[in-house]
Amino acid sequence: MAEVFLEARNISKTFVGVKALDNVDLTIGKGEIHCLIGENGSGKSTLIKIIGGVYKADSGIIRIEGTELRGMQAIESIRAGIQIIYQDLSLFPNLTVAENISVNQMLESNQQKVNWKQVRETARKALAEIGEDIPLDERVESLSVAKKQIIAISRALTQNAKLIIMDEATSAITSEEVSHLFSIILKLKQRGIATLFVSHKLSEVFQIAENITVLRDGKLLGVYPSSELDEEKLAYIMTGRMLKFEPYRYDEQMKDPVPLLEVKNLAKAGQYRNINFQLQKGEILGIIGLIGSGRTEVVESIFGIDGADSGSIMVSGKEVHIRNPRDGMRHGIAFLPEDRLTQGLFDVQSIGNNIVITILKSFLKKSRMLDVRKKKQAESEWVEKLSIKTPTPANPANSLSGGNQQRVVLAKWLATDPKIFILDGPTIGIDIGSKHTIHEIIRDLARQGMGIIMISDEAQEILDNCNRILVMSGGRIIREIKDSTTISRDELLDVIAKRVETGADA
Amino acid sequence: MKIKQLFRHSETYVLFIVILFSAFVTAINPAFLTLENLFDLLRSSSGTAILAIGIFLVLISGGVDVSCTTIAIVGQYISVNVLIATGFDNIWFAFAISMLLGVTLGAINAVFVSLFKLPTLIVTLGTSSLYHGAMLEFVGTKAVNVGGLPQSIKDFGAFNVLNVSRPDGSTFGLSVFFVILVVIILVTWFILKFTMIGRGIFAIGGNLEAAKRAGFNTRRIQFFVYMYAGLLAGIMGVMHLSLIRYSNPNYLVGTELSVIAAVVLGGARISGGSGTITGTMIGVILITILEKNLIMIGLSSYWQQFFVGLVLLIGVSITYLQAKFQDSGRRIIVKEEE
Repeated sequence: MAEVFLEARNISKTFVGVKALDNVDLTIGKGEIHCLIGENGSGKSTLIKIIGGVYKADSGIIRIEGTELRGMQAIESIRAGIQIIYQDLSLFPNLTVAENISVNQMLESNQQKVNWKQVRETARKALAEIGEDIPLDERVESLSVAKKQIIAISRALTQNAKLIIMDEATSAITSEEVSHLFSIILKLKQRGIATLFVSHKLSEVFQIAENITVLRDGKLLGVYPSSELDEEKLAYIMTGRMLKFEPYRYDEQMKDPVPLLEVKNLAKAGQYRNINFQLQKGEILGIIGLIGSGRTEVVESIFGIDGADSGSIMVSGKEVHIRNPRDGMRHGIAFLPEDRLTQGLFDVQSIGNNIVITILKSFLKKSRMLDVRKKKQAESEWVEKLSIKTPTPANPANSLSGGNQQRVVLAKWLATDPKIFILDGPTIGIDIGSKHTIHEIIRDLARQGMGIIMISDEAQEILDNCNRILVMSGGRIIREIKDSTTISRDELLDVIAKRVETGADA
Repeated sequence: MKIKQLFRHSETYVLFIVILFSAFVTAINPAFLTLENLFDLLRSSSGTAILAIGIFLVLISGGVDVSCTTIAIVGQYISVNVLIATGFDNIWFAFAISMLLGVTLGAINAVFVSLFKLPTLIVTLGTSSLYHGAMLEFVGTKAVNVGGLPQSIKDFGAFNVLNVSRPDGSTFGLSVFFVILVVIILVTWFILKFTMIGRGIFAIGGNLEAAKRAGFNTRRIQFFVYMYAGLLAGIMGVMHLSLIRYSNPNYLVGTELSVIAAVVLGGARISGGSGTITGTMIGVILITILEKNLIMIGLSSYWQQFFVGLVLLIGVSITYLQAKFQDSGRRIIVKEEE
C-alpha cells in the first residue's frame, strides 16, 4: 500500500449504553479511494464523525501522517486536512457560488472584512482545480444537487483538504451525475487527495473504490481490496445473509381481456406528451428515465396530483376522470411518492396513525365517532403483516429506520386495498437488507393480482423486479421492453442515455 | 439580458407600481410632484424607513421582529421624560438614552431567540407586550404635549440641512432626518456587503446549521441583529417625537405590520436569507405614498388598513410564486422534436 495518510486504531464509542463502535480500525493511504460500507446503524456515521472531530472516541487513537490527533476536535481535524461533506452538503442556498466556496476559508483566516475580488478568485481557483466551470454569481439554490456537490467539494479544496469524506454522496443524483462525480474523485486522486466514500449502494462501490472497509453493528468485518469482491459477496458480508435475486416473471394466465389500466395519448404542456401504455393484473411495470424525463409527472397525473391536459385514462376498461388524489383513490389507485419524508409520512405522528390515515372513515361508528378499538386493531395487524420493527404502533414514525418507515408508507396505501399501486423510488435511501424485503412485498402483491408501476433510478432494481419496462426521455416514452429478461443492465443504461437508436414510434 | 435579470427581482415591479401610482396621483393633484411635497414626504417617512431597515436585517437573518415599534415608543417616551425630569435639555442626550434602551431591549429579544432558540415571532410578540406594559406601569401613561416638550427636541424636528425659497419669500427645506436615513442606509449596506458579520446574517438566514458548521459565531450574529434593530428603533423613536412634537405612550404600537409589509413588498424573503436595502426603500416609498394619498383620491382612511394587509399578502405570495415557477422551470426540459 502507498504511504498511509490516516490511521484509526481500536476506536470504540458508546452512546447511552449502546455500543455504536467496537474496536474499529480504518486505514487510508495518501490519495487512496476508500469505501466505508455498512447498513444503517452499522456505525459508519459515528466513525466519520469521530475522524472529523465532531464526536470524541471513548478509546482508540487516530494518526494523521504519523502524528496523533490528541484533542479529537473538529478544528484539529480540519487543520490536518480532513474535510467531511455531509449528505445535506451544508451550503447556503441564498448565497452565490463564489461565496459558498470561499466562506470557510474566510472564516478560517479570521478576517473581519470581505474582499469580493478575493472571494471570486478563491472560488475560481478551487473550481479550476477539478476542471469545473459553474457561474460564480449564480445562487446555489438554483443549481442541481450534483452541481451543489461540486461546490461542496470545491469548498473542501479551499481548506487544503488531503482527505475528503463524502457521506452518502450519490443518494440524490442521477447515474450520469454519479459517473461525473467519480471522474472528479479520480482527479482528486491525481492531486494526492484521498477520498473516503461512505455508501450503501453496492454497485457504485465497485466502480470507484480501491479498498473497502465493511462495518456491521459497530464492528469491523474486514478490509478488502475491491478486486477481490463482487456485489454478491459484499452483500453477504454486509448483511450476513445470502440475498438472491430471481427476476420477476409474469404469469400470462393472470392476463384479463381488458387491461387493468390503459393510458391513451396522455399529454401535459411542458412536461410530457403522447403517453400510451397498458398495465395488466399481476404485472410489475417499470418506468425508467433520467430525472426530468417526465416519469414522475406522468404517474402523478394518473394518481391525480397534477392532472393531465389531454388524453384518457381507463381503469378496467372504463374511462375515468381523475382530477385529484381522492379521485385516484376512489378508482383503486395508490401512490407511493418519491420523497417519503415530505410527501408520504407524518414523521412526528405515531406509526399507527400514519398507517390508518387513508382509511380513517372506515372506523367511524354510527355516532360519527372513531371506533378507537377497531383502529388500534387495524394498526397492529398492519405492523405485523409488513413486519415493521417497533415495540408498539404508538411510537412516532421518525423513531424507525428508513426501511421500516417505507414499510409504514406501504402499509398506509395497502390499507386502501388498491387495484393499482404506483411506487416512485420505493427503495431510495434504504439498506440493501430492507430493500430486499420491500421488493419481496411488492412481488407478493403482484402475484396476488395487483397491477404495479415501479419507478426507479437504479437500472438493476427495475431489471430485477419488473417484467416489462418503459424508458422515458424528454417527456416521451422512447422505448418499451416487453420482456425485461431480454435486455442487460448496460444495454438498458444505453437506451436511457439515448446512446442507441430507439424504436420510438413518434 | 440585463433588463431580463432586472425583472427577476420583485423590487422592479414594485418600482413600476410606485411610478404608476405617482403619475396617477400627480394627474389628480399636480401638487404631489413638487419639490416641497417630496421634501415633506422624506421628512415624514424617514423614521419608517429606519425601522424598516431594522426589520429588514431581522428578516434576512431568518427571523421576524414585531417589537420594533414598541421599542421605539419606549425609547421615545422614557427619553423625553428623563429630559423633562433632569432639566437637561439636549437632543443628543435624548438620542443616547433612547438608543441605549433600544440596544438593551434588542439584546433581551436576542436572549430568547438565540439562547433559548424560540420562534422569533412569538418572542417579539411577547416582549413587545412586556416592554409596553412595563413602561405604562412604571413610567406613566400621560402624554407629553408640545407645551411641555423640551426645546431642543422641537428645534431638531425643524432643522433643515438645505433651504429653498418660495416665490413669496418663505422657505421650506430638506430635513436633517434625511441625512440620518442616508447615513444609516450606507452604514447598514457596508455592514451587510463588506463585513463577515454581515455575510453571517445572510448565512444564518439561508442555513443556520450550515452556518454553525462553517464556523460562524451564530449566537453573536443573532445578538448583533436584534441589538442593531433595537438601536435603529431607538433612533426612530426620538425622530418621531421631534417630527410630531407630541409624545403619547400609545402611539406607534400597532403600526409594525405596515413596516413589515413595506419590507416584504421590497422583495425581502419572509423565510430569510434574501433581500436588498434598495428594495426595502422602494417598499417604504410605496407604503408611504399609499398611506398619504388614499384620502386624497377619495377613499376613507380605513382603506389604509385594508391595503396594508392586502399588500403584505400579495408581497408574500409573489415571493412564493416566483420561487415555485423558477423551480418548475428547472425540473422538466421537454425536447421539441418530431
